[in-house]
Amino acid sequence: MKAISESVVKKDHKEKMNGSALYVGDFPTEGMLHGKLVRSPLAHARILSVTLPDLPAGYFYVDKDDVPGENIVHVVQDDSPAFADGEVHYIGEPVGMLVGPDEAVTAQLAGAVHVQYEELPAVLDMEESRVNFFDYHYSRGDTAAAFAEADRIFEETFTTGYQEQAYLETQGMIGVFDASKVSVHGSLQCPYYVHTAVGKVLGAAAAGVQILQDYTGGGFGGKEAFPSFLAAQTAVAAYKVGGRPVRVVFDRREDMEFTSKRHPSKNTYRVAVKDGRITAMDIDVRFNSGAFTTLSPVVLQRGIIAAPGVYNVPNLTVRGRAVKTNTMPTGAFRGFGAPQTFFSVEVLMDHMARALGRDPLEFRREHLVKQGDLTSTSGIYHYPVPLPDMISEVLEMSGYEEKRKQYTAPQTGRYKKGIGLALWFHGAGFTGSGERDFIKAVTAIEKTADGKVEILASNSDIGQGIKTTFAKIVASELGIPYEEILIRNPDTDRVPDSGPTVASRSLMVVGELLRRAAIKLKEEWKDGEAQRVEEHFAEPDFMIPFSLEDFHGDAYPTYAWAASAVEVKVDSLTGVNEILGCWSSFDVGTPIDYNVVVGQMEGGVLQGLGYSSMEQMAYDEKGRIRNNSFSDYIIPTAADVPVLEVQMHVEEYPFGPYGAKGAGELPLVGIPAAFVSAMEQATGKEFSHIPVKAEETLDV
Amino acid sequence: MVGGYIPFGMQEALEILAGGGCVPYAGGTDLMVKESAADTRYVFLHRIRDLKCITVDAEYFICGACCTYTELLRSRHTPAILKEAISQIAAPAIRNTATIGGNVANASPKADAALILMVTDALVRLQSKRGVRIVPIKELYLGRGVADILPDELISEFWVPLSRARLPYFYEKVGARKALAISRVSFAGIADVSGGRVNHVATAFGAVEDVIVRREEIDGMLTGLSVAEAQALKGEYLAAYDAAIKPIRGRVSAEYRKAVCGNLLGAFFDSHIK
Repeated sequence: MKAISESVVKKDHKEKMNGSALYVGDFPTEGMLHGKLVRSPLAHARILSVTLPDLPAGYFYVDKDDVPGENIVHVVQDDSPAFADGEVHYIGEPVGMLVGPDEAVTAQLAGAVHVQYEELPAVLDMEESRVNFFDYHYSRGDTAAAFAEADRIFEETFTTGYQEQAYLETQGMIGVFDASKVSVHGSLQCPYYVHTAVGKVLGAAAAGVQILQDYTGGGFGGKEAFPSFLAAQTAVAAYKVGGRPVRVVFDRREDMEFTSKRHPSKNTYRVAVKDGRITAMDIDVRFNSGAFTTLSPVVLQRGIIAAPGVYNVPNLTVRGRAVKTNTMPTGAFRGFGAPQTFFSVEVLMDHMARALGRDPLEFRREHLVKQGDLTSTSGIYHYPVPLPDMISEVLEMSGYEEKRKQYTAPQTGRYKKGIGLALWFHGAGFTGSGERDFIKAVTAIEKTADGKVEILASNSDIGQGIKTTFAKIVASELGIPYEEILIRNPDTDRVPDSGPTVASRSLMVVGELLRRAAIKLKEEWKDGEAQRVEEHFAEPDFMIPFSLEDFHGDAYPTYAWAASAVEVKVDSLTGVNEILGCWSSFDVGTPIDYNVVVGQMEGGVLQGLGYSSMEQMAYDEKGRIRNNSFSDYIIPTAADVPVLEVQMHVEEYPFGPYGAKGAGELPLVGIPAAFVSAMEQATGKEFSHIPVKAEETLDV
Repeated sequence: MVGGYIPFGMQEALEILAGGGCVPYAGGTDLMVKESAADTRYVFLHRIRDLKCITVDAEYFICGACCTYTELLRSRHTPAILKEAISQIAAPAIRNTATIGGNVANASPKADAALILMVTDALVRLQSKRGVRIVPIKELYLGRGVADILPDELISEFWVPLSRARLPYFYEKVGARKALAISRVSFAGIADVSGGRVNHVATAFGAVEDVIVRREEIDGMLTGLSVAEAQALKGEYLAAYDAAIKPIRGRVSAEYRKAVCGNLLGAFFDSHIK
């Protein structure tokens, strides 16, 4: 283990342990106004009129007419209004906000706002959607010829459901408009995304926009785009009331029902096999985007680029669509489109191996990509692919081969066991040329005259430990004790735009910029002088430029790799499954802090197990999500954590700090396929969707 | 603002309840998560020692209505079948405060401790300023969420016949996960088989109908039979329950609930009627 991997006390340990860290809901509310959103009760309707109740002095109603700039929340595109304008497109879409000094009275008045609607036809089912927000195509080789020559053709459709981020802290924002400057702080991942969004809704009304991240109780992607909406709405309210802070903090039901979740998907794979080898795949991926585009283009891009999995498929045709429905817009969640397609391709590999009478692991091994091979988008796997070694590690940890054989024999008795395995990667950093063309990260290190060193970056610590790992890198290069490095929650008045806290990029991309900045500062270090060094992102030379028009080139500079085995026991009386263990090998390059990384890996695995085994969310015939509480949306508890073994396999990436790659999302991505593989062995059934319900394992 | 009373003794509590308009508050784990009306007045029962007893006499296991699950789990008097059910309720923090009396008073068909009181034919002791009523628990349940407890009454004790509570048992709870899970189906069965004869059989099914299912007349089919005769009746016995149970659809389908009930009943039969 490298010295940099040795674990330290996390940078924010003390304030989080002693309770002095302020989350947005912890700020004293004296003098604050409370905001409560008035939401659409219908999935699609025209707004005919809005009648307000009698508002006591000090209470305000805020809607589209109060937006001084553009009534648009910028995400990737500009189609989402801050407040509904004439029409509502999903249940929960904000129509307005009631603002006032007493929280209970505000909520009561918000409930008394009478909006008259003319109901319009709503499309809820993805299948019935006639609007493709995005429709991507790419191919390489000659898929048609390969299918013509195939001696076996497989076709199967896979579906995956919603997943709710279920972060501990719900969404919340506080905004104040004072002397033409607006300041907004709250629970968020991407200060500069929020900055852009707030700037757009306020326009010229705000000479200055300041966004600060408060201590944030988890994000998992749920605080990537959504805070831009809440901040924009809160900023407009703050602008209207002028001078007094406005606070909007969701309760759990509001958060679960009306914030973004993982895209449900429906993915059809056609595969040509000749002489026992896969010669082509023709893949059709569909994601339910909900009523607006939000992050769907980028989620879809990552999903379809990962669609053929870790396999060398010489002829490939991929279509990906993000379709519009009158449901809550979906968004970012750890894995970002890849869990849906990896689930599909990995379960398909099992099904094909079974049909071909092949061992699923051997069948996988024969098709693995290796260094130098082409990626799905005709980029190159520039660095070694360590999967063969990682598979061996997992086999040894899990006892896979012996168990697999044992459970293949007929099982008698009440409980049946199964073990399954899955392989996957996660492209490290932004998809395509986003890092080069859009983000253009800048980071800085400042030193005061008395030698205090502070890191200036816009990446937020949402529990993943980025304050800790950034500080370790800078301390290591400067030769200063880690404890003495300063790093605060980002404030856009002070930190440059080093990009969002997403895509498993912060450590690999921004961490490396900080490492270089620290080297520069060390070279230029002058005792007794205040100094500042900056570092700007430059794409590594080896990259084949990515073109989004034809999906050609290196979508990622490098990849994090994973192999995982899951063992289950199924009760034949009740259909209930118990996960007995999960053994994984993960390659995220050099772990910058061993405890931080292992914590990420274990948490991600568990989130993947929940996604595949119990997390069920659905809307009713009106388009309303009913299971909006923790008693109805079931996630794993501590008692549900199985034996979780994680091994770090280190394949260093020379352009990441000390060889580090992206880590945060990787562990979740392929877990559902390993789980389903185990369930199939235990039950003798085939599943092509998640979550798998107890009901389906019984013959009822 | 929620208001209330903290009586120091049983008589004081009954006086307050006799005045009307009050809701008894034991562990509060159900009441806390409900929106309470602004004028709700609670009678907090935690200071009443009489409601906390756990003991056995010659015939009964007796526990006070305000015994928490944790207290019941720790007591050497608590029957194993009750401990097994309780150990799977919620999570330690909730078990530290939730009470067995609250579980029964809620009249939920999903109440796990109540299921055990049903299968063991426990008696419920109700007290009011007017006097004492002792009611078989089966008669207490009138419908989903409706128990025959008058507004001025408090459940003071449960009396569980030891002749039932100490019999060999079969218990299974089906939840959506291992902790903090509301039952999707629960089942308890007890059987007294000795000298080759079936002396007593009782079963109870939770979370399938509006009230916990306890069909003495069906279980009675087996009473007094030799083991061989009872085994010969297995098909008829299972079919009788299959016809009797009318599961409701909820978070899981009615078909699933019914299938699980049948499977568990069959497994109970095979393991205990022998």
